[in-house]
Amino acid sequence: MEDPPNPNPNPADSQPQAEAGARLAALSLRGGRDLPPDFHSSEIHEHHLDDDDEEEEGYLTAASRGGSSICAWKEAPDGLHDDDKEGDGDDVSPPSPSSSGYAGERGSSLDDDPEPDPDPEPAQDWPRDKKHLDEDDASSSWRKRKKHFFILSNSGKPIYSRYGDEHKLAGFSATLQAIISFVENSGDHIKFVRAGKHQIVFLVKGPIYLVCISCTEESYEGLRGQLELMYGQLLLILTKSVNRCFEKNPKFDMAPLLGGTDAVFLSLIHAFSWNPATFLHAYTCLPLVQATRQAASAVLQDVADSGVLFALLMCEHKVISLVGAQKATLHPDDILLLANFILSSESFRTSESFSPICLPRYNPMAFLYAYVHFFDEHTYVTLLTTRSDAFYDLKESRDRIQNVLLKSNVLIEVQRSLHESTLHVEDLPTDTNSQSASQHHSSQDRSSQSLSPDMAIGGPAGLWHFIYKSVYLDQYVSSEFPSSISNQKQQKRLYKAYQKLYASMHDKATGPHKTQFRRDDDYVLFCWITQDFELYAAFNPLADKTQAIKMCNRVCQWVRDLENEIFVYGESALSWQYHHCWGGI
Amino acid sequence: MASRRRMLLKVIILGDSGVGKTSLMNQYVNKRFSNQYKATIGADFLTKEVQIDDRLFTLQIWDTAGQERFQSLGVAFYRGADCCVLVYDVNVTKSFEKLNNWREEFLIQASPSDPENFPFVVLGNKIDVDGGNSRTVSEKKAKAWCASKGNIPYFETSAKEGFNVEAAFECIARNAIKNEPEEDMYLPDTIDVGGAGRQQRSSGCEC
Repeated sequence: MEDPPNPNPNPADSQPQAEAGARLAALSLRGGRDLPPDFHSSEIHEHHLDDDDEEEEGYLTAASRGGSSICAWKEAPDGLHDDDKEGDGDDVSPPSPSSSGYAGERGSSLDDDPEPDPDPEPAQDWPRDKKHLDEDDASSSWRKRKKHFFILSNSGKPIYSRYGDEHKLAGFSATLQAIISFVENSGDHIKFVRAGKHQIVFLVKGPIYLVCISCTEESYEGLRGQLELMYGQLLLILTKSVNRCFEKNPKFDMAPLLGGTDAVFLSLIHAFSWNPATFLHAYTCLPLVQATRQAASAVLQDVADSGVLFALLMCEHKVISLVGAQKATLHPDDILLLANFILSSESFRTSESFSPICLPRYNPMAFLYAYVHFFDEHTYVTLLTTRSDAFYDLKESRDRIQNVLLKSNVLIEVQRSLHESTLHVEDLPTDTNSQSASQHHSSQDRSSQSLSPDMAIGGPAGLWHFIYKSVYLDQYVSSEFPSSISNQKQQKRLYKAYQKLYASMHDKATGPHKTQFRRDDDYVLFCWITQDFELYAAFNPLADKTQAIKMCNRVCQWVRDLENEIFVYGESALSWQYHHCWGGI
Repeated sequence: MASRRRMLLKVIILGDSGVGKTSLMNQYVNKRFSNQYKATIGADFLTKEVQIDDRLFTLQIWDTAGQERFQSLGVAFYRGADCCVLVYDVNVTKSFEKLNNWREEFLIQASPSDPENFPFVVLGNKIDVDGGNSRTVSEKKAKAWCASKGNIPYFETSAKEGFNVEAAFECIARNAIKNEPEEDMYLPDTIDVGGAGRQQRSSGCEC
């Protein structure tokens, strides 16, 4: 019943959408009318001052023309005038002027437009508790958020919202359900609505609806992929058997089942802007000398043979070693969601834990049990079993693992690797044939260089950054950011550019493509896809094309030279080449 | 965050156009009334927090359009409702006679698991008009109908004067809660390792 993921709606598809859009005008979408009078004015900048990661995403820039997700519906006609890109802005007619507006919602809103408080934790890596529970769809701060995520039931009951209190957003959630169900009633599916700068992307998973409203200029495919991961995260916590609750009782209120998991979703949403694994569908490894990794793998294999389904040793989001019993394989998305779940739940760090979890790509219907233990602040082992009574056995297994890791200095090596062995484009080995300006820089050179304001900082031939994905291994490796892309905002921008590149290269209608060379104001982007690998590289915008291609060849060679250290090799990982699916769960 | 275990109740308001559904809702949620008639397009959604016996609830009120042309929206709107409010105008006999239609239509479209006991509440609105002189549906008649449909609670209201509105909605909320199943059973399976990899792969990959 689920339509196959179609990341590329062709023009033919948009016809029914346009129609649905017109009919949607019949729904009275509250909120258009009584926007604060100064909504489009300068108050919008207020929050930019603390330019931490989330703020960049959290608020519209003044330049990107104000508008909330809701009033976006009203914006559509404007969009046609001042934004030539929004050709399909007329998908949606503006709501009828008779819409009674927001007045009603105020009844549930404790405070109308709280001046968004300057967030006092700029030093923090990323804001974990920025749910802004005081906000709802009547708050101007809520409307200015650049990217919203919602999960709701097919009866319109809210399940999750990135910003604001779910209950206060019950009316908004009902609106979303009405839109989705209305289109479904006519035997169709709504994929997205574009309204001015905003894109509203829908994903229907049985009785659960997921919606993203964004003005981040990410692609439909990218946002849809993020919704798929949100759904995967929900399954990881609850399994697909929640569907049965809805079958038995359509009134089922699912939100309480997710109690206490806000941080998990927030951390996943944060990952969408920094973790390439979220769009590459591949995982990355912690670089280690082969012997060290082998020592870890041997003991994990040993444990796996004694009745553990999967054994993973990870350092933050990077895999040190992973082993599966028999022919069981772990999908990269499951690794991502599992690591996100563990790392975002504070309680895993404080003690050894045993928790039911579901691996949506492995089996979305049922729970496995995860034994999790942190050896140090960053490094943790996860043992997955089907036995709910396996805690003490796994605890013993962990003892064995810990002994081996200590004896063979694995944990020390891991710590060292975490701080030292990263790939720097400056270290790209020099091509012996060419005596170009690009020489092998020591790290000392690097630091002295980074003081220079020169644009050309980075690797040879203007190479700034790259991501190399091994297709067969489902693993990727990426270089460190150079000083030219040093702040989070720049890094996020580059990842978004990669994301777009990825989507366009894997475009189902026109692709897959082999190479792409793209130059804009910010970078030269080069992508090269073969049977064996995908390479995404960013150069400074003045880079020479021939030189850039040469550099990419050298990067590939370099990665191959290092492959024993930067990739995990194991039977289990290899078998995924036959089961690689893009998109839907 | 975990303590925030409020329950959400979905309430649908149905009835002919012009009987005062939106006014009742506005009176209840915002304590406001406007003489000006504005037809609801499709549906409006309001939320209101209520406290009933020490527990907090959020009412998600679906104020639907009475015009017949919107009735195709039914299935989409009625699914998963916790309570349905039927409204008529005591001065318009036809709006009372149509209650039966609205009720049946709701039961068909929403197909609740136990239609016999699905909680409805009936409101006879606009009792203020003309000091009650233009009234064409008597309280007795309305109550008789309610009794025949499984003792549906009945309230006479005036959205304009705010009369009985609070009481009616409290009853609506109570009825919605009463209907809630004790505890939704959520019992996920555990993977049976018997044939581990194979059979699970197929379910894992249906993309």
